[in-house]
Amino acid sequence: MRIKTISRSVDEFTRERSQDLQRVFHNFDPSLRPMEKAVEYQRALTAAKLEKIFARPFVGAMDGHRDGISCMAKNPNYLKGIFSASMDGDIRLWDIATSRRTVCQFPGHLGAVRGLTVSTDGNVLVSCGTDCNVRLWSVPRPSLEDSDLSSEKSTEVVHSICGLYLQECVILSFTSRAVDHQFEGDLFATAGAQLDIWNHNRSQPVQSFTSGSHSVISVRFNPGEPDILATSSGDNHISIYDIRMSSAARKILMRTKTNSIAWNPMEPMNFTAANEDGNCYSFDGRKNEEAKCVHKDHVSAVMDIDFSPTGREFVTGSYDRSVRIFPYNGGHSREIYHTKRMQRVFCVKYSSDATYVISGSDDTNLRLWKAKASEQLGVILPREQKKHEYNEAVKNRYKHLPEIKRIVRHRHLPKPIYKAKAESRAMNDAKRRKDDRRKAHSAPGTVVTESHRTRRIIKEVE
Amino acid sequence: MGGLKRKSSSSAKALAKSKKKKGPHLPNSILKVIANQKRPLNSDEEDDDDVIGSDDEHGGDLYEYEEGVPEEESRKNNRYDRHENYDYELPEDFEDENVESEDDDDGGNTDNDEAEGDDDDDDDRHTRMLQSLTGMPSAAFEGESKSKPVLFTEAYPEGEFNPTRDVLEGKNVLTEEDFLAPLEGTPGYQKTSKQIARMRKDTKHVVHAPLPKPQRERLERKAVIGLVDEEFSKWVHLVKKNREAPTVYFNQDVDLGYSTVGAIASEFQPRTEFEKKMASVLNDSEVSEAHRDDGARLLELNEVSMEDHIKDHNHIAKMRSLLFRHEFKSKRIKKIKSKTYHRLKNKDLKNSSLGALMDPEMAKEEAMRQEAKRVEERMTLKHRNTGKWAKRMISRGLNVKYDGPKAAIAEQLQMNANLSRKMNSMRDGSSSDESDDEEEFNDGSDEDTPSRLIAKAKEKTLKALEDDEVPNAGLMSLPFMARAMKKKNEEANEEAKRALEEYEEWENSGGENSKKSVTVSGRRVFGATAKVEAPKESRKDSDNFYDDSDSDNDMARIEDNNIEPVRDNASPARNTITETEFDDDVAGNPASKTTFDVAMFASGSWKKMTGSKNTESKKASKKTRAPIPQAQDKKGPRDEESGDSESEAEQMVDGVLTSTSKETFEVPSQAELINRAFAGDDVLDEFEKDKEEVLNQEVPKPEKPVLVPGWGDWTNIQKKRGISKQMVQKHDAEKKEWEQGLKTRKDARLKHVIISEKVDKKAEKLHTTTLPFPFTSKEVFEHSMRMPIGPEFNPSTIVGELNRPEVVKKTGVIIKPVKFEEVNPNDEVDDEHPRNHQKQRPKKKTSRRQGKVKSK
Repeated sequence: MRIKTISRSVDEFTRERSQDLQRVFHNFDPSLRPMEKAVEYQRALTAAKLEKIFARPFVGAMDGHRDGISCMAKNPNYLKGIFSASMDGDIRLWDIATSRRTVCQFPGHLGAVRGLTVSTDGNVLVSCGTDCNVRLWSVPRPSLEDSDLSSEKSTEVVHSICGLYLQECVILSFTSRAVDHQFEGDLFATAGAQLDIWNHNRSQPVQSFTSGSHSVISVRFNPGEPDILATSSGDNHISIYDIRMSSAARKILMRTKTNSIAWNPMEPMNFTAANEDGNCYSFDGRKNEEAKCVHKDHVSAVMDIDFSPTGREFVTGSYDRSVRIFPYNGGHSREIYHTKRMQRVFCVKYSSDATYVISGSDDTNLRLWKAKASEQLGVILPREQKKHEYNEAVKNRYKHLPEIKRIVRHRHLPKPIYKAKAESRAMNDAKRRKDDRRKAHSAPGTVVTESHRTRRIIKEVE
Repeated sequence: MGGLKRKSSSSAKALAKSKKKKGPHLPNSILKVIANQKRPLNSDEEDDDDVIGSDDEHGGDLYEYEEGVPEEESRKNNRYDRHENYDYELPEDFEDENVESEDDDDGGNTDNDEAEGDDDDDDDRHTRMLQSLTGMPSAAFEGESKSKPVLFTEAYPEGEFNPTRDVLEGKNVLTEEDFLAPLEGTPGYQKTSKQIARMRKDTKHVVHAPLPKPQRERLERKAVIGLVDEEFSKWVHLVKKNREAPTVYFNQDVDLGYSTVGAIASEFQPRTEFEKKMASVLNDSEVSEAHRDDGARLLELNEVSMEDHIKDHNHIAKMRSLLFRHEFKSKRIKKIKSKTYHRLKNKDLKNSSLGALMDPEMAKEEAMRQEAKRVEERMTLKHRNTGKWAKRMISRGLNVKYDGPKAAIAEQLQMNANLSRKMNSMRDGSSSDESDDEEEFNDGSDEDTPSRLIAKAKEKTLKALEDDEVPNAGLMSLPFMARAMKKKNEEANEEAKRALEEYEEWENSGGENSKKSVTVSGRRVFGATAKVEAPKESRKDSDNFYDDSDSDNDMARIEDNNIEPVRDNASPARNTITETEFDDDVAGNPASKTTFDVAMFASGSWKKMTGSKNTESKKASKKTRAPIPQAQDKKGPRDEESGDSESEAEQMVDGVLTSTSKETFEVPSQAELINRAFAGDDVLDEFEKDKEEVLNQEVPKPEKPVLVPGWGDWTNIQKKRGISKQMVQKHDAEKKEWEQGLKTRKDARLKHVIISEKVDKKAEKLHTTTLPFPFTSKEVFEHSMRMPIGPEFNPSTIVGELNRPEVVKKTGVIIKPVKFEEVNPNDEVDDEHPRNHQKQRPKKKTSRRQGKVKSK
């Protein structure tokens, strides 16, 4: 007769250290666990609820400017530093990590500063504004001592006025609206009545592009392809330039003005344009006759847009006093951030580690938000991390089911936005109804409804 | 083409044309007159487009107008219809420009006279028209027109800074001929005119006018677009790969801070004096230099003085001896296996530490003494039959044969037990003790152990008798306690004596008794009875062993005599069974054969209906059944002998079998069989009932309105009104609804089917109403949801991969934009992640079109 015995090898059950976890053996036979699906669904539900409970996106506000913040720039080489400029010509460097206070100021502009950018090595700050000046500043080098100092004297104002930081000032014949620096190069572009490409070391532009009678509103270099940049102008054009060439490559004429443009840092051919009509349009730089994706949710003009360095989502700031985060291929936003005191948002930035979002608004404050509202900050143990991942995965898996979908999608909206949304929805519905009727009562093929992706694009200029 | 663009381009073109165009060589004054005549006075109000139109028609080419275009085709009336012009005239214009210059060369002068004639004609027509309109003689108008002076439309006199309109519009530009005319007749004239003529003919070196700006820009843009698109297209594979990857990793190779000991150590700064000393030696340039060289100099540096050496040596020797002693001691202590010892030692250690608080020296001494005593006791193992003599006795079996050695060995064991008990008594269980005993028995003789056991029991009782000494201190020394103890002791003694007597009795009857006791075991042994005898003794031995280990006094149980009759009864019964079985085999075989034949014969009709297999099985069953009754006959008389229960059982079996064997082979039909098989249950009816029930549950029948007594009437006198109309109406409506509900059911017409249409609300929440976006088929979606992903349901090796998020990044590390790398488009995304299989990868096309789908 054979006797089956339970045997356990000592090696398998002996821990190497007392901190090690006791090894647990499972029998993964599915017939032993008939309720696994129900269990996971319940977990997904719990995870969705927990996410809501822990959603605390607002990290802090940075106060100091005396006028509405017009533009911001992140230091590509230093995570903690962010520059902001306001309508009264004040430029400040903030420490967003520890103290959330001004590190130093760069006085000099007489009018509103409209454009701000930092070179890739983080040494040179370029600003331009309505006083027809383009100024180059040398950025104070961050050091460990500085951060220690500021954390110690938290009550005292420890920032310095850095008149010494001005490197160069070029006076133009027109006001410039935007400036952007090439990625890993020493060129930068200013946009105004014309588009100028500058070198750090020259006082004259290396190259200039003129187009039409309207001024250029925004300019953004492609991070993946450093020689390509995109501009938007007041005559509703979006243009792509190659600075090695003498003229624009592509021009798209839209029905409304584009306020800002952001290139996808992971997909150099794709960019997204923040439009005056409250939508964002994602384009493929090679095919511009239709947008690849229309991102709708804002109820007023989108003022600024910035891509996450992961290329998977972007943040927008709108005139409707809200900040939204969109997936790069999704039609609706994943997240909306708003506070009672936040006014029109003029500029937004995604932090270089894709963890935070910074918004600058008319109420003279910079606000720091978490990119993922319920994310746990600080050091996370591996087991915690695993748990978070599991929760996320389970939630993601059952996100289509009604109960979970409802919880995950729900966002509280400020009243004006809620009302405006309802109104616009009603209008759209009415329009669609009318279109449908018109279509139904006319000969087939005569009434063609244009898709959302082409509706707002007039044409691509040849 | 937008109107705006076209406008500017055409105006630019006109400008270019005007620059180039050269008319016939008329004197300026004539041209001016012509121009003024042709141009109406309100020409100022014409907008740019019209100017262009007029340009095209008769601008600079007076002769052309007359040459080709008939009046009705001149489109004078269509002047304001711009669009017609736009569509097709543009290309013609371009050609005109090139062709024109040649025209000028060839026929410039020849057409001169004709142009003048035309002019006259025009005048004639004009006067004729006026005449017809006014009815006045033509002379009146002729005079007017002829005598009419040159009309100045400019506000300022013509000059360098106020060019005439003609000049501005490019109609009347100076040409080379104009310049050459005054030179005619001068010596170099021929040469220059020839040169000019040559230049005109030389088409190769003609520098064409630059293209109009919009056109030029368009061409440039086209070129740039090609380049930029190429730049973008090279990224496609990389982007595609990233998009299709289940997880994108960022900054996995970035290290955050120090990771190695070396890196940390390199930052070390000596601070204390010792550290500084060490650092000074370590960083000594001499030493490091020696290291860097062949190392020979290191020997020199290593030189040590004699004194130092001796000192060192002594020190080391001392330390070694200390170490050795310590090791030796610890080894010895470690050898001791007794748990009790260690426990006591630990206790002592604790105590000593306690005592040490009071008087450390004394406590230490005490501990040492105790330890020594215990170790001696335990270590010698003097009394465990390990001596030479004891071994010899045991090996030869002398300890069994003779009483002397037997007693001696027993005594030794007793002593050992005593010694060891001291410690064993502290233990919770007595497992080791038992095992010791067992060992002894195993060591000792195999045979005749019961006698030994008896001896041991005797010994113990004797000892108990001897041992009862009254303690002379403590609680037990109190008089009443002592009395009680004494009483108890007496009783115990009496009992012990009785036991002793019993032991003696058993010892005397030893051999036979033990052999009889063999049959105690209730196990049955099938087979020859003779063989049963052999293992008896050994089995008995083992039985005894077990019993002994339980307790010494339980010997009596083994010797229980009343087992004997059982054995007596059992053994004959067993014999009979074996016998009958044997008989069956012998007698049954032929019988079974006969029945087999019968079955074959009988089941002839069966064969037709069922397959051969069926018949075979039938045969087999018959075969097993038939022989038994035959055997029963033979067995009959012997039944009384065998056990009652057995015989009964067999009889019962026989009864059944006999009845079956007598069956008549009337073969029923299939339907009949089924009817017979399911005689009890009416399935159809039951099903109908079931269906009704289900229907009632899912579409409940409306209740009939009933008149509740007391409701609806006030008094007896009042006329009974019955159920109110409203209620009846309501009921009717409900009934109609119910009927409708029944009709619309899916199983309304299917008589034998119940299709439940109940919606489970709890299950509802686990279903999606529509297929979620990236999925195109239901099966794929369900498949993707099939496997759980939790750590409870999956081995830990794949849980991480199943749960991995789409983006893995490190917080606090800057993510750089994508860098170009060559990606082979034919490479599949690595299949290491099992989620790949579950998750339907959206096609590239759909991923691009996501916006549309989501924004509905």
